[in-house]
Amino acid sequence: MSGPVVKLLMRRLLTVIPTLIMVSLLLFCVLRLLPVDAAAMSLPPNATNDEIAAMRIEMGLDLPLIQQYGIWFGDMIQGDFGTSIHFRTAVSTLVLDTLPATIELAVMAMGFATVFGVLGGLWLFYARGGAVEVGLDLGSVALLSIPEFLWALFFMLLFGVSLDLLPFIGRLGSGVARPETITGFLLIDSLLSGNMATFMDALRHMILPSVALGLSAAPPIMRILRSSLMDVYQEDYIHQARQRGISEGRILIRHALKNAFLPTLSLMGVQFGFLFGGTLLVEIIFSYPGMGNLMVDAIRNADLPIIQTVGLTYCVMVLLISIVVDVLYLVLNPKLREA
Amino acid sequence: MAQRFNWLRSGRVITGLVIVTGLVLCAVFAPLLAPNDPTEQDILAILVPPVWLPGGDWAFPFGTDSLGRCVLSRLIFGSRIALTVAVCGALGAMVLGSILAHIAGYFGGWVDWVIGRVVEIWLSFPPVILSLILMVGLGAGLQNVILAIILVDWTRFCRVLRSDVMVVAQRDYVAAARLLGFSHWRTITREILPATLPLLITLMSLEMGVAVVVEAILSFVGMSVGAEIPAWGQMIADARADIYSAPWVLVLPILAIFVTVFGFNILGDGLRRTLDTRLTQTERA
Repeated sequence: MSGPVVKLLMRRLLTVIPTLIMVSLLLFCVLRLLPVDAAAMSLPPNATNDEIAAMRIEMGLDLPLIQQYGIWFGDMIQGDFGTSIHFRTAVSTLVLDTLPATIELAVMAMGFATVFGVLGGLWLFYARGGAVEVGLDLGSVALLSIPEFLWALFFMLLFGVSLDLLPFIGRLGSGVARPETITGFLLIDSLLSGNMATFMDALRHMILPSVALGLSAAPPIMRILRSSLMDVYQEDYIHQARQRGISEGRILIRHALKNAFLPTLSLMGVQFGFLFGGTLLVEIIFSYPGMGNLMVDAIRNADLPIIQTVGLTYCVMVLLISIVVDVLYLVLNPKLREA
Repeated sequence: MAQRFNWLRSGRVITGLVIVTGLVLCAVFAPLLAPNDPTEQDILAILVPPVWLPGGDWAFPFGTDSLGRCVLSRLIFGSRIALTVAVCGALGAMVLGSILAHIAGYFGGWVDWVIGRVVEIWLSFPPVILSLILMVGLGAGLQNVILAIILVDWTRFCRVLRSDVMVVAQRDYVAAARLLGFSHWRTITREILPATLPLLITLMSLEMGVAVVVEAILSFVGMSVGAEIPAWGQMIADARADIYSAPWVLVLPILAIFVTVFGFNILGDGLRRTLDTRLTQTERA
């Protein structure tokens, strides 16, 4: 089993490199359109024009665009992502501080999206042909029309403000002890340090943002699971299983779901990528200290080094997710495994 | 001929059309419909509740926001921005995406490869992130919001349509057209486009919903039109500060966005169903 997986991994990693180079080039060029003088911004307001000009040369802003890009890319390969103009700290530190929070949120949201998507898909499939189906189907179109940030605001109003059930600001309550940073993932760190109170508080803070994100990613999963189940049920082996007297529940779980899950899995990869971008809005709404808030603050301050690094980090995450999904697909699909 | 209007029999299409038409009317006749000037601030009437709540005032049917501006008037005028972006953004994305899809699917070979790689690069950006970055580069403003939507969402059309074009391009009648001496351009526009048109219209309707959401997101983070022009996302961003005292100021624009996007989605869903069956019927005939 490991042979094809390793081969696929190697191939995918090789195609990812040119993609990343193009993505970074695109990012670099788009952000150079910004009418902001990075040299003037990194100096105190009373700097003279000569000082600004000297700074431009020092920062390499007088060089041709492609050469500037080369320098940036070369530095990045060596792990130097530049210094934030606003915070005066290494961008890599800022990103590494916020990335785990965003990953934690995205993974938990994807968990919810999977649960809602699979349960909803099964429900849609069971209701097929009945009067309930029309209602459910219209419901899924309605769900599809609610983007993550509307769910987030709605949940904040309902469960946070009106019902006062769950916290909706930040990652931890004000009086709660922060665990020592081991991995950066609050849930894991608090468990590792045996701090159950912190763990529960962090979990409660994550429920509203991750359910909001998960709900927005679930409807396409529901719909594709339903349609692939419909396809699978046309296959001969389902009829044969029925004739062998296997119960409907067992047919669904042991035979149909296993095969219908493959197309669903590739869609889930795409949805996970979208969802990862959606964390940005949810983070802003819930003041959740992740990469999204870092990005939006950087945009307000026109802090280019942060914007381009965070932008690139989002792309790296999306590409990583697609590789993981491809590998999972291979592992779960016996037809591809032998090839 | 009767078949041509089959889509009008779908409840979904009708529902979608009713909602969308209502919105268009709101946008076109906004100055007549709105009870107040959407930008006028009335310091004496701050956070007035809507009429169905105690303390409501018919002068402001949906209440006022924290600056004393009429929420209903702002919602009505906000539909102008939403619809402008929906129509222009979706149209632009459709034109760019479907031209590239037809070129890639029809010619195949290296052209297809190049366009495929470009789509792949685009898809490694989460759409929200790419549109934010584009807005940073382009600067705020209605035209740039539309441009950003076109530059982000053309891939939605390109990806889906390309495979459709590839299937159609294999058909005998396309080969026949070429043998008759039709130029590539004429073959694509006269023979292939009519076959891909149903899918294109469906995607267009769905994309209008996406465009409304993107505009709301961008104006929510303050990167769309200026604060002086009423837009739904902007209203949401403004209302967050008064979430405890005046939740309706937040709820109403949320509902407006939901209803609009639902209208485009249900229209697209209905069109997909009816136009698809029409396609299979002609195939069977």
